[in-house]
Amino acid sequence: MMRKIILLILLIPQLVAAQQIDADLLAIKKKMDAVKKFSANIVLDLDVPFINMPTKKARVVYAVGKRMEFTSKDFVMLPKRGLDFSLAEIFKYPFITVDRGVEQRNGQRLKVINVIPTTPASEMALATIYMDSKALQIAALDINTKKEGSYSLLMKYNTPKDVLPNYVEASFAIEKLKIPLNFMGKGTTIDRKKMKSMETKTGKIKMQIRDYVIN
Amino acid sequence: MRLLLKAEWIKLIRQSKTYYAFGAILIIESLILFTAYYQGSTILDLLLDNLKQSFYFEGSLLNGNLLMYIVLNSLWFNLPLILMIVTSGLVTDEYKDGTIQTVMLQAVDKWKFMSAKYITAIAFTVFVILFMMLSTFVLAYSIFGDGDLVVYLGTLNFFTAADAFHRICWAFASGAVSMVFYAVVSLTLAVMIKESSKTWIASALFLIITTLLLKVDFGAEVINQVFFPKLIDSWQQLFAYEPDWYQVLVNNFMLLLYALGFGGLGIYIFHKNDIG
Repeated sequence: MMRKIILLILLIPQLVAAQQIDADLLAIKKKMDAVKKFSANIVLDLDVPFINMPTKKARVVYAVGKRMEFTSKDFVMLPKRGLDFSLAEIFKYPFITVDRGVEQRNGQRLKVINVIPTTPASEMALATIYMDSKALQIAALDINTKKEGSYSLLMKYNTPKDVLPNYVEASFAIEKLKIPLNFMGKGTTIDRKKMKSMETKTGKIKMQIRDYVIN
Repeated sequence: MRLLLKAEWIKLIRQSKTYYAFGAILIIESLILFTAYYQGSTILDLLLDNLKQSFYFEGSLLNGNLLMYIVLNSLWFNLPLILMIVTSGLVTDEYKDGTIQTVMLQAVDKWKFMSAKYITAIAFTVFVILFMMLSTFVLAYSIFGDGDLVVYLGTLNFFTAADAFHRICWAFASGAVSMVFYAVVSLTLAVMIKESSKTWIASALFLIITTLLLKVDFGAEVINQVFFPKLIDSWQQLFAYEPDWYQVLVNNFMLLLYALGFGGLGIYIFHKNDIG
């Protein structure tokens, strides 16, 4: 009995802490909530081992409560996950945070927290957020979804005052290409070793975001 | 020489075979374009199917540039057949009609006479390629519009519309060199065989064997690089994401040398043999 009481006493502070939402994240959320609408020009660079694509230009439009919309005169390939740098998906459903301490990344001292949704409606299972608590900016995110795997975001800002990033790098897992043999181009040889090594690869999309119009 | 060239052109323009060839090219081209439209969406589905799980796409890839690329892939077997029939006729018709003896009774150098035929065959081939290129561009772009091109050559290569157009133009130029080679070979075969139907069969056989050898790996790298069947589809290399322009140029230059060799052989045989 005594053991159980001691265990309970030890666990209570952790449980209480776990239920609280990190103050810095709340401050970032407040900062971002001020952005109701924005549009910007994006320069896209796709970095996938078996895809060669030139640099593309697109336009992004975002409004609160809606998904980000991308339009382009060119043909563009956009990953289904990892483009939401407005972080609307993270804040969409109730969540709790768990403090994971501080980490040094690219010369920056970043606070690390886990975000855990408290409702099954959320697509997200767990997010790890690396944030600059001084500038109140999110520097990186690792997101695990329930159905669509995991992806990471790396964000850079022009100035510490900026709410939205000017550079976003989204990394995601991508399956190898399955091209039927009858479509292999003339002179194309099949490198089986290479094909096997390409079963699942990490793809990246690098976005330079310019000419923000924030409302 | 100018008079000989003029005479050859007149013969070519006046023969109905030439117009049948143009008609055939237009029909084949339209058919390929029509089927390419349906084939194009299947190809895109196959290429992009598992990418759809990870990406969504903005814009269309089923456009004039993709159709032009499919046409390029399909036409390089049909077109040489037509060209070989028309160009070999420059010699076989002379034998059939007996006009060759009449010409040779005049003060005409045998090598000049045959050179004029080769030059006419080459000029006609280039003209046909230009005609085909322009008509395909007009049909493809006016009906299916412009847009980015996707090609699978080991990797998925995407090209902007402007870059795709540029590469397609160069592919036609490289293809023209291959067609010139076939036209010259058919003329040489005509000099050797003299009879039209037999020349057509020999030309078709040459085309089939060359196409088959294109896919054969000869083991030795030198043979794979310099043997003429391996040089026929150099235009495909232009759709590598970063093409080796120097290699494409060298390949086309080597193919021109082969054409020169076959042409020289034809002139030599014609010059050596008696006209009977």
